[in-house]
Amino acid sequence: MDTAAATAASSSASPAREVLELFLIREAKLLDERRFREWMELFAEDGAYWVPAAPNQESPFNHASLFYDDRTLMKTRIDRLEHPRIHIQTPPSRTAHLVGNTLIEEIDAAKGEVVVSSTVMMVEYRDDSQRTFAGRQFHRLRHTDDDYKIVLKRVNLINCDSAFDAMAVPI
Amino acid sequence: MHLDPTVARDSEAVAIHTQEEISKLIEPGRVHRRVYTDPEIFELEMERVFGRAWLFVGHSSQVPNPGDYFTTELARQPVVMTRHRDGKVHVLFNRCTHRGAKVVNERCGHAARMTCLYHGWSFDTDGALTVVPIPDGCAGGFRKEDFGLAPVPRVQEYRGFVFASLTRDGSSFEDQIGPMKGNIDDLVDRAPDGELAFDLGQHRYAYNGNWKLQIENVLDSYHVPFGHASTVNKQGVQFARREGDEEGAKVVETTDQNKTTASWRDRKSYVTGNGHGWSSNTALDDGKRSSPAFDAYKLALIAKVGAERAAQILTPRLHNSLIYPNVSIMGLNIHVRVVKPISVDRTEVTVYPVRLLGSPDVMNFGNMRLLNVTHSAASFVQTDDLESFVRTQKGLRSLASDWVDISRGLGAEEADRTYNATRGASVGELAMRAQYKAWLGYMQEAA
Repeated sequence: MDTAAATAASSSASPAREVLELFLIREAKLLDERRFREWMELFAEDGAYWVPAAPNQESPFNHASLFYDDRTLMKTRIDRLEHPRIHIQTPPSRTAHLVGNTLIEEIDAAKGEVVVSSTVMMVEYRDDSQRTFAGRQFHRLRHTDDDYKIVLKRVNLINCDSAFDAMAVPI
Repeated sequence: MHLDPTVARDSEAVAIHTQEEISKLIEPGRVHRRVYTDPEIFELEMERVFGRAWLFVGHSSQVPNPGDYFTTELARQPVVMTRHRDGKVHVLFNRCTHRGAKVVNERCGHAARMTCLYHGWSFDTDGALTVVPIPDGCAGGFRKEDFGLAPVPRVQEYRGFVFASLTRDGSSFEDQIGPMKGNIDDLVDRAPDGELAFDLGQHRYAYNGNWKLQIENVLDSYHVPFGHASTVNKQGVQFARREGDEEGAKVVETTDQNKTTASWRDRKSYVTGNGHGWSSNTALDDGKRSSPAFDAYKLALIAKVGAERAAQILTPRLHNSLIYPNVSIMGLNIHVRVVKPISVDRTEVTVYPVRLLGSPDVMNFGNMRLLNVTHSAASFVQTDDLESFVRTQKGLRSLASDWVDISRGLGAEEADRTYNATRGASVGELAMRAQYKAWLGYMQEAA
């Protein structure tokens, strides 16, 4: 690690792992508590949430994805999640996320950004049935003031190309 | 495969193989609940409906080069679509002629030849058996010519859409699919180069419900304001679903969310026989539609086909088309949807975004991204449909009534000479009645 990167790491990404891990845990808790608007506020204005539909998918722009939401779409999704007549959330999902095996993948000192990867598992219970999602997620985080904003959250589900029963809540 | 162990099997299910018993399941304006819930009827459907109809297999662009393959299932049977060295597309049963193993196990890929994992038998891309290891061990009289991968009996391609029939006899492609060629043209002609490519990935979703629930749904305009209430805002407008639209369709009145707009109610459904049909009134270009992507597309189309023809193409008659029993061509937010029955109460669906060749990337990719929002397994639209299918399947466990009502618009059908079709209100159930008429025909045909 060069000096600039080390400085960036100590100022914005270090005590990196612990701080970043806490961020991921807080994010997961917001989803589990269905505080979707607060979850959306974790994203930068130019931020995006992406769940590819194919392994090693290179881009969300030339290939179908399960989710690819910019802030505008995220808001439409959350408006719908709060709509009284969203049938796929009647009753609502209950979820429990587990985030671990956190690693810092990349530090971009110039941009003040860091990419952190982690294993995510989400158990979802709804309407008498329970299922599990699992995969590795990558958060590109931008350091702002005392916190981070999500520039890109990418979730690589191990079964991303399978046939899913309807999914309503983000992973 | 996932099966919900709580799903009740019909305790009253008995063998119902006689034509008379099957005929009692369908009445004018209603169908017996057992067509959705009875595993024996499902088995008969695989044999008689899916075993006899012309089924959509895939698009030739999924196997662009010799050696390319794509695997799928027809009536639950594994098949592989290949492109041979001579450029011809083959549809073969994906089952080793030796001991029966599935030969090609990947969803798609490229291989000079297809080799069975078990004993190493190797097949050419036209199905011919080329290699049998330890050939001197074969029985006397063994001929490789007799052991090629079996071709699906009949295969026909129309503008890249590959259809197959699992039976050698039965009605011809022209008789069955011919009347729907115009509906395929409607989508393909939108491509400035007059050709599609299925190369933008796919969505796959599944539900614990009968396959016919999805088939019925694609021509059901009645459900939209209610089933998709969560996508309709306080002004009664659904969110924009196409590149270049400022806003989506107004489907319910601002004053009453239970009252559909007149423009929605005025839409028409058409049926042509064989279970096929479509719903009307999705003009691509109403003069107001504009975005950099749409405008660039329109220019590309005009450059290729001229202004007059482009105007015709952009004012199509079709919203969604169903080619019974397993594929729909969705004209609104452009895609092709393929239905795969798994069991009486489990269905998988594949949704293909399509690329209009000759159209600017920004338009094609824009359409593809909108499809994430409307028809991925995590979309805003399809998810509420899936919940409707699951709850219908659950509700039909009830013995409160034997009947499912599909009588809306019964007796109000009109002949349409323009399309040589029968016409009715799109918020009616003409299309479902036509599907069950075709269903009954297939199911009653002598085995």
